[in-house]
Amino acid sequence: MFLTIKSQLKMNCKLCQENLDAYREGSLPAGIMTQVESHLETCDSCRRVLKIQLLADRVIGVEKDAEPDPFLATRVMAGIENLENAGMEKVTPFPGLLRPAFIGLSIAAAVLFGIFLGNLSRPAYEAGKIPVELALINDASLESVDLLSLE
Amino acid sequence: MTDNELIKLILQGERDKFRIFVERYQQMIFRTCMGFVHNREDADDLTQDVFIQAYQSLPDFKMESAFSTWLYRIAVNASLNKIRKSRKTNFFQLIGSFLGGSNQEASLVSASDPDNPEAILIKEEHSQWLRDALDSLPENQRTAIVLSKYDDLPQREIARIMNITEGAVEALLQRAKKNLREKLSAGKEKKL
Repeated sequence: MFLTIKSQLKMNCKLCQENLDAYREGSLPAGIMTQVESHLETCDSCRRVLKIQLLADRVIGVEKDAEPDPFLATRVMAGIENLENAGMEKVTPFPGLLRPAFIGLSIAAAVLFGIFLGNLSRPAYEAGKIPVELALINDASLESVDLLSLE
Repeated sequence: MTDNELIKLILQGERDKFRIFVERYQQMIFRTCMGFVHNREDADDLTQDVFIQAYQSLPDFKMESAFSTWLYRIAVNASLNKIRKSRKTNFFQLIGSFLGGSNQEASLVSASDPDNPEAILIKEEHSQWLRDALDSLPENQRTAIVLSKYDDLPQREIARIMNITEGAVEALLQRAKKNLREKLSAGKEKKL
């Protein structure tokens, strides 16, 4: 119906260019085909649009005719083999759901180990207890520093 | 041997049978990939990736659609991913060519003959703007036009691959053709 209405309209550039796809495919009804053809004979602009579209078809045709690598199947099978070999070499001791749990436990163990190592190297004054030898020293019996400086 | 029979054998461990699939569908997938990347080497690599991906996903194939439809879906997704990645690369290449003062535009204008499209086609670079027009379409329009023009698929099959209705495919193709027509005409004014 759309085409029928269109066919009753006077052919202009807009209508002609809208119908160029169908014109190239040869799928236009005979009446519109004739109108498009006669419009193309007189209109430089539409003729150039048609040339561009034919060129586009030609470029697509060239790409469509390209052949894939003749060794493509061999390349694919080699790729699959490599993948499977890599998969066999990579044996994980904690598959599936256990893997996140294992990772979490590893991180926790690493943190605890770090805290333990940090405590080992803590300075003596932070230990809290004064050694017995130091506790028995009587500060009053010690010579004054002033006396030493007078000598 | 049918596709489904082959799939059963492959899943039972006969890996070498997958070669039959590759030989059966390589031309079809290569053509689709060419429609997206317009370069033989890239299309070869992409086709290889598509088949390897298909092999890895074979246990997930439900056999609810045809194997070819499923394979087309993988090819379209892989191609679109490739384009998205290369678009980022091209952005930096564009900056590089801008800074380096590319004179490609000038060579296009001087070498072309407005009345002889064949002369324009002689050099590969002269058809680049046609590919640019195709590449500038939105992804869904581009997918529909590639499947229609490069693979000559009917709208029903395109609808299955894109998982949309036939009416939506029709609309996409109409919009894609209109956009292409406008871009090509604009390009014509600039290049010819």
